[in-house]
Amino acid sequence: MHRETVENVAFRAGYLAILTFMLLPLAVVVATSFEASGQLLFPPENYSLVHYRTFFEETTWLSAFDNSLLVGTGTTVVATTLGVTAAFGHELDDGRTGQLLAPLVLVPLLIPPIILGISMRVYFVRAGLNASFLSIILAHTLWATPLVYFVMRSVFSRFDWQLLDAAKDLGAGPIQSFAYAVLPNVKHGIFVGALLAFIVSLQEFVMALFLSSHSTETIPVVAWTALRQSLDPMVSVVSTFLILISIVAIVAATVATNLEWLSKQLS
Amino acid sequence: MSGTHSSLPAPIARVWEPLRERSRSKRALLLMAPLLVFELLLFVAPFLILLRISLTSGSQDLRYAAGTWSLEGYAEVLSSGVLQDAILYSFKLGLIATGITVSIAVFYAYAIWRAEGAIKSALLFSVILPLLTTLVVKTYAFRPLLSPTGTVNDLLLSLNLVSEPIQFVPGTIGVIVGQVYIVLPYAVLAIYSVLSTMDWGIVEAARDLGASRPRSVLEIVVPQAMPGIIVATVISFAWSVGAYAAPGLLASQRVPFAIEVEKRLLSNLQWEIATAYAVIMLLLMAASIGVLTVTLNRFGGEFEYA
Repeated sequence: MHRETVENVAFRAGYLAILTFMLLPLAVVVATSFEASGQLLFPPENYSLVHYRTFFEETTWLSAFDNSLLVGTGTTVVATTLGVTAAFGHELDDGRTGQLLAPLVLVPLLIPPIILGISMRVYFVRAGLNASFLSIILAHTLWATPLVYFVMRSVFSRFDWQLLDAAKDLGAGPIQSFAYAVLPNVKHGIFVGALLAFIVSLQEFVMALFLSSHSTETIPVVAWTALRQSLDPMVSVVSTFLILISIVAIVAATVATNLEWLSKQLS
Repeated sequence: MSGTHSSLPAPIARVWEPLRERSRSKRALLLMAPLLVFELLLFVAPFLILLRISLTSGSQDLRYAAGTWSLEGYAEVLSSGVLQDAILYSFKLGLIATGITVSIAVFYAYAIWRAEGAIKSALLFSVILPLLTTLVVKTYAFRPLLSPTGTVNDLLLSLNLVSEPIQFVPGTIGVIVGQVYIVLPYAVLAIYSVLSTMDWGIVEAARDLGASRPRSVLEIVVPQAMPGIIVATVISFAWSVGAYAAPGLLASQRVPFAIEVEKRLLSNLQWEIATAYAVIMLLLMAASIGVLTVTLNRFGGEFEYA
C-alpha cells in the first residue's frame, strides 16, 4: 500500500477509537438503565422500564432532583450576576485591579475540590451556614463564576464600544445605555454563560458532598452515596436523565450560538 | 457619588482607597467590586482559616484546639509513612494520567481541526457531552466495562489475547483510565481553541518543502499549539493529582491524597493534621505546576503568541 493511504487509515482509526472511548461510558450508563434485573450488566440481558417506574416512586431521588434544581438556579443567578458585571467592569478599564481579578478568579479552578470543600466546610461551620442550601450555592458559584467571567470577557471584547458612546451622546443614562445598547448584543453570550453555570452546579459533587446534609443532598451526592454501597441500575436511570439535560443544554447553546464557538468558550 | 466614600466604615475605606487610585474609572471598579468581595469572602478567607487551623495543636475531644500555636500537624505529616505514601501515589497517578491525556488530546484536537462538516460536529459533540456530564456518572460506567467479569475482559478472552481475566478495576489501571476520561475533554478543547486560530498554510508549506506528515505535525503544529498544550497539561495535572471521584470508585487498597485527607477530616477528626496535609499538598502542587509550565514553555518559546 501507498504510504499516504496507510497514514490516512491509521489517522482515521485513531480518532474513531477516541470517539468510541469518549461515548462508550455514556452508552453504558444509558443501556444499563434498561436492565430488567437488579444488577448492573452491560450489555443488558433483558430490557425493561422497571427502574424508571421505581424512580418516580422514590422520594429520595425526586427530592434530590428538587435540591439540584434549587442549587443550580441559585448558582446560575449569583454566578451570572457576578461574572457579567465584573467582565463588563474589566472591559471598561483594565487597570491593575482587573489584572488582579483574572488570576484570583481562576485559581480556585486549579485547587483540588476536596481542599476547597474542606476549607469551606470549616468556614461555614463558623459562620453558622453549615449544611444550608446557601453554602452549596456559594461553593458552586466559586467554580461557575470563572466560566461566566471568561465567556463574557470574550463576548465583550468583540462588542463595538462605539455603540455605548453613541447611546450616551443621545442622552441615555448608564443603566439605560446598558439595557438598550449593550444587552441586545451580548444576550446570547449571557445565555451561554448562565447555562454553563447551571450545568457546572448540576454536575459538581465533591464540594456538595462536604457541604450538604441529608435534606440538602443534590443528585450527584445521592448517586455517589448509592454507588459506594452497590452498583444499582437506579443510578443509571438518574444518570440518563442528567445526560439528557446535558444534551438539551448543548442543543440550546448551539441554537443560541454555534458548536465551534461553544467549544472554544469551554476551554 | 463623592459623598458615599466618606460614609464608608474605616476598614473598608482603607482597602477601597488604594484600589480606587489604581483604577482609571470608579464605575469600572464598582462593577468589579462584587466579584472581588465574593472571592475574598469565599476563597481567600476560608483558605486563611484553613492555614490557621493547620497551625494549632491537636485535641482529644475536639476537632482541634482553638487558639493554640503548634507545628504538630506538619510534624505528623512529615513523619507519617501512610500520608506520604498517599501523596506519592497521587503524584504518580497525576503524571501518568497527564502524559496519556495530553498525548491523546493533541491528536484528537488536530483531528477535529482538520475535520469538516458532520464529522467535525460529531467529534466536537463527543468532547462536549462528557464534559457536561457529572464525574460520578462518567466514572462508575467503567466498572461494568473493566471489571474481571466485564465487557473488555470478555472481549480479550474471546480473542484469546489473555488466558485469565485481568483485574483492571478495582486497581491503578482503572483509576488512570477513569481519570484520563474525566480530564480529556478539557485538554482537547484547550488545545483545539489554540489550533483553530492557526494558519493551515504553514503546515502545507512544510509539506511542500518535503516534511513527512507526522514530522510536519511534530515540528510545526505542536510548537504552535504550545500555549494550549500548557493549559491542557496544567489542568490535567492539577485535577488528576487532586482526584477524588475516580480513585473513590475504581481504586483498590492504595489510596491517593484526596481519599486520605477526607478520612483524617471526617472519620478521625484530626483537623490540624488534615489541614496541614492539605497545605503541604498545595505547596507541592504549585511547585510542580511551576516546573511543568517552565519546561513546556521552552519547547514552544520560538513561536510564542503575542
